[in-house]
Amino acid sequence: MREMIVSELTQALHDLAQGFAHYLPRLIVMLILAFLGWVIAYVVKMILRSILRLIKFDKLSENAGASQLLTKAALPSATEIVSRFVFWVTWLGFIMLGVSVLGILGLQEQIARFFLFLPRLFVAMFILFFGILAASFFSRAALLAAVNANVPSPRVLSLAVRSIIIVFVLSIVFEELGLAEQTMLVAFGIAFGAIMLGLAIAFGMGGRDLAQRFLEKKFIRGKKEENEDELSPL
Amino acid sequence: MPLNRDALWYKDAIIYQVHVRTFHDSNGDGIGDFPGLEQKLDYLQELGVSAIWLMPFFPSPLRDDGYDIADYNAVHASYGTLEDFRKLLDSAHERGIRVIIEMVLNHTSDQHPWFQEARSSADNPRRDWYVWSDTDTRYKGTRIIFLDTEKSNWAWDPISKSYYWHRFFSHQPDLNYDNPAVRDQMWAVMKFWLEMGVDAFRLDAVPYLVEREGTNCENLPETHTILKDLRRKLDEEFPGRMLLAEANQWPADLRPYFGDGDEFHMAFHFPLMPRMFMGLKLEDRKPITEILQQTPEIPPSCQWSLFLRNHDELTLEMVTDMERDYMYDMYAENKTMRLNLGIRRRLAPLLSNDRRRIELMNGMLMSLPGTPIIYYGDEIGMGDNISLGDRNGVRTPMQWTGGWNSGFSGADPEHLYAPLIQSPVYGYPAVNVFAQRESEHSLLHWMQRIITVRRSTAVFGRGSIEFLYPANHRILAYLRRLDKETVLVVNNLSSTAQAVELDLRHYKGNILVEMFGNNIFPRVGDLPYLLTMGPYQFYWFRLRRV
Amino acid sequence: MVPGKSRSTELNLEDGNFLTDDFLRQLINVGEVDILVGLPTHNNAKTIGPIVSAIQKEILQTFPRERTVIINADGGSRDGTPELVTGKSIDDIRPTSNLHTLRTLHTISTRYASSPASGTALRTILAAADLLRAKACVVMSPDSQNTESERLSRFLRPIYRDGFDLVTPTYRRPKFDGLLMTNLLYPMIRALYGLRIREAYTAEFGFSNRLGGQFLGQNGWNDRSGGTGAELRLTLAAITGGYRICQSFLGEKEHIERRAADLVPTLRETVGALFSALESEFAVWSTVSGSQPVPTTGSDQELLLDPMRVNRKRLREMFSTGVAELESVFRSILSPATLAELQRIARLGEAEFQYPAELWVRTVYEFAASYQKSVISRDHIIQALAPLFRGRVFTFLIENRNASAGEVEDNIESLCLEFERLKPYLLQMWKSKE
Repeated sequence: MREMIVSELTQALHDLAQGFAHYLPRLIVMLILAFLGWVIAYVVKMILRSILRLIKFDKLSENAGASQLLTKAALPSATEIVSRFVFWVTWLGFIMLGVSVLGILGLQEQIARFFLFLPRLFVAMFILFFGILAASFFSRAALLAAVNANVPSPRVLSLAVRSIIIVFVLSIVFEELGLAEQTMLVAFGIAFGAIMLGLAIAFGMGGRDLAQRFLEKKFIRGKKEENEDELSPL
Repeated sequence: MPLNRDALWYKDAIIYQVHVRTFHDSNGDGIGDFPGLEQKLDYLQELGVSAIWLMPFFPSPLRDDGYDIADYNAVHASYGTLEDFRKLLDSAHERGIRVIIEMVLNHTSDQHPWFQEARSSADNPRRDWYVWSDTDTRYKGTRIIFLDTEKSNWAWDPISKSYYWHRFFSHQPDLNYDNPAVRDQMWAVMKFWLEMGVDAFRLDAVPYLVEREGTNCENLPETHTILKDLRRKLDEEFPGRMLLAEANQWPADLRPYFGDGDEFHMAFHFPLMPRMFMGLKLEDRKPITEILQQTPEIPPSCQWSLFLRNHDELTLEMVTDMERDYMYDMYAENKTMRLNLGIRRRLAPLLSNDRRRIELMNGMLMSLPGTPIIYYGDEIGMGDNISLGDRNGVRTPMQWTGGWNSGFSGADPEHLYAPLIQSPVYGYPAVNVFAQRESEHSLLHWMQRIITVRRSTAVFGRGSIEFLYPANHRILAYLRRLDKETVLVVNNLSSTAQAVELDLRHYKGNILVEMFGNNIFPRVGDLPYLLTMGPYQFYWFRLRRV
Repeated sequence: MVPGKSRSTELNLEDGNFLTDDFLRQLINVGEVDILVGLPTHNNAKTIGPIVSAIQKEILQTFPRERTVIINADGGSRDGTPELVTGKSIDDIRPTSNLHTLRTLHTISTRYASSPASGTALRTILAAADLLRAKACVVMSPDSQNTESERLSRFLRPIYRDGFDLVTPTYRRPKFDGLLMTNLLYPMIRALYGLRIREAYTAEFGFSNRLGGQFLGQNGWNDRSGGTGAELRLTLAAITGGYRICQSFLGEKEHIERRAADLVPTLRETVGALFSALESEFAVWSTVSGSQPVPTTGSDQELLLDPMRVNRKRLREMFSTGVAELESVFRSILSPATLAELQRIARLGEAEFQYPAELWVRTVYEFAASYQKSVISRDHIIQALAPLFRGRVFTFLIENRNASAGEVEDNIESLCLEFERLKPYLLQMWKSKE
């Protein structure tokens, strides 16, 4: 009996050692890869940071108004964020590569899918960034136009424009990422509709007088409207 | 070569204007004469002229270059005898050259026996041959022609103690054409010369024959009646002879002098000439086309006479003040060149001795509708001498050679009637007939060539004119047509190269043949005809359909 | 200042097809000219006939011997304006004119676009002037009802006879006319560039072929701005190029109806052009201090005292609304101190409201610096200036309500001196970028 236990143990230990010996090189490879990956990711981060600084990425994002968002959220500057993001993604990539070497079947598939997912992630980030840029630009344009045309509630209008664009961009991003597409679509539809309805009501109520005056001027000639500046600026 | 017997010979003529005194001296007294001129007829025949117009050669005190005549039926002794003149006439006719002489109808010299008699007393039978007055206020408002020398049209005669009328110099009293005796006498004078064989008269100062109170005393109907009468007599007794009017008037006022073909045969187109010079300086054809647009049609037997320069100043009477100022500033900055509302310079100095400009102006002279007149010496590009007073600067001796007195005379140079041109540019060593005969591309040869081309067709003398108005205003282009023949003339008035597109739609299918080289140019198609032209260049094209 | 370098004899046009074939053919037929008169038009059939006639008469009186051409650059008129212009050509082709001239006076027309763009019109005229080697050029406005004589020669004589390169007009204006000019453009150009040019942006001016040729060759026609504010840039080019500039008094300035909505496009054309020019010309204006008067011919301008109906209340309201609503935008553009000050005065009632000169100068300079750094889209910066300008106008109107012409001039002068005094402030902000 004792001999059976010993021989089983020995066998088990032997298997373990063998298994260990089998996996050890791979483990080492994985660790090496992880380490290498960290080094490379760090280098890439540094290079990217320099490049972004060179092209004044911070200024660009400031223009877009993205910086303000980041500051509000107590996040570091845009350059930092992008650099760090790239660092983590690169390192993670290498780690994934290392894990795949281990040869664990189930993981292989997941890793493959992760790598397939990466490009779409980049695209989504890209869309998001430029979407925020656009939202910022157009909302400011609307604000200025409204103020200069003496339209009531210019900030509301500006916010509405920003919201619409952000919502639109987000829904594209989510669709791109493939996350809850249908839900996002519906949600976007509802949100967009709600915003438009809100705007309509706001303008309808608030602009009622304006509309009245406009129609009067168009169709009833009689009341001479008090002209604003007869000043010519030049 | 016998004379061509065509009654309309003057339409095809090339006229050479010359003063006997200036041309050639045969007897060594320093003054040109008839035998001298006769010796040079070969030169004129070679040049290609078909008529010479002689400046006045009558006996005269010469205070107005012979236009103050003291005897109508003789010749001035300096130029020879009446027999010499007859011989000249015959020699010219043998060479096919007609002779046009001056006839001053309007006035005589105060040295003329008629005036001597008329002024002697108020009862003299010839008294009425001139226009007398006790006051100088009659015919007020009549313009003074020689502005630089005369202050009034009346002059006081101390002998008869009254005023006499003179439109020109005070020593040229006007004849009174209200007097039939005057009219008869003047026809007798003309008849004298016609019988001798003279082919035509240039009638000087015709607008001023008759005066009437309350008018400007020019172009009066009475004057025309007298002239028509002269013409009638001429046609009756001497068919084939010609009358040329000297009337410095606007074209519309000139028209009556042609009558219905029953007054003058030819008249000078005075207003055109300054405008040709103006167009050249402005580099714009507008002055030229405008004056020709305003020129009225004349009877078919009549002809305009065109000229670039003559013995007088380049007259600027028939231009606006703005135009006159422009001409003065452009062509006569030196005020001594200005005289009597004109510029007293020869052709070559006016054009700065620019050979191309001289050619262009002669090209226009030869291709515009009319009979061209060449002033002696302009065919070799002679210069002028401003320091000689009045208009004598353009009446210097003809330059034949680079030798003694330029071949004009064997006399002592100090005895010449006027000094020779000595300037380095125009002086006789540089500019003379002998040198230009030797040089293949001289102006003289060029003139001979263009006269030959001109005479090769009747279209220039007799054809109609139609102006093309290309958008490039520096190009003066027109079509001359006679029966089936059409010639296109294109002139570049600009000192720079130009491109021009001509609308020749109506002539589509015609091949252009350039008339000097007889080379063919592209055929006229649907598109506007493009020509590129060098500075001051001109083309004459014959339009030919094969 | 460095004198302008001699322009190359080659024409420096970016696109080879900028001038139409037909126009080029017309130019060939016109040939070299001494004087060129440019008339940009768009649907000006009512006024253009008398204007062309007046120009022709004046040329005949004062420059009868010069070769002249009138070039109409038309921006797609539909009322037959170009035909009216070309029909007045004085030549022997259609001898209809009863004006007696020495030479042909061409009047040609080209359509440079199907809708008006003053920059392209000016470029067309410049190109034609360069090709025809015109010694002196004048651009005239087709709106002018005032066809008094001598208008043209007041531009031409200084160039043609006295050798100036740029002639800008001065006018006798109603005292509240042209406030953008008197409160911003004139003082700022004067302070930065050192020359007291009253009307740097104008529809009528004259220039020599030296200046025209050089300006034509400059880049900037294909900017995003598409040549807007070209007239202003011409003036600035003349200043920086060391060209000789003078002013000519033209009499009364006509009142042209403008609506309030025109303010922003006007700002773009003027202030926008000025701000963008500042960047490339930094080396020139940064070294200038003080300002020099410009030789002026004709009588001194005075201001008219016609009272004008102005809705002042609305100006102040738009200012206050603007300051409130655009706070987020201003935060990017203005310094905190300036913004705080603006917000303070925005809260004042109409009686106490005052937009003092110094604050206005600071505002403008900060805008200029922000524009240069492109803190936000440049076009937005210009738009944001509009409500602030209205506030400044309000103060100017109040301060000069009962002022005489001389007093108004003094006020303008002191505003100019304020601009000059605070120039180091702008330089400091400018350099802080580097």
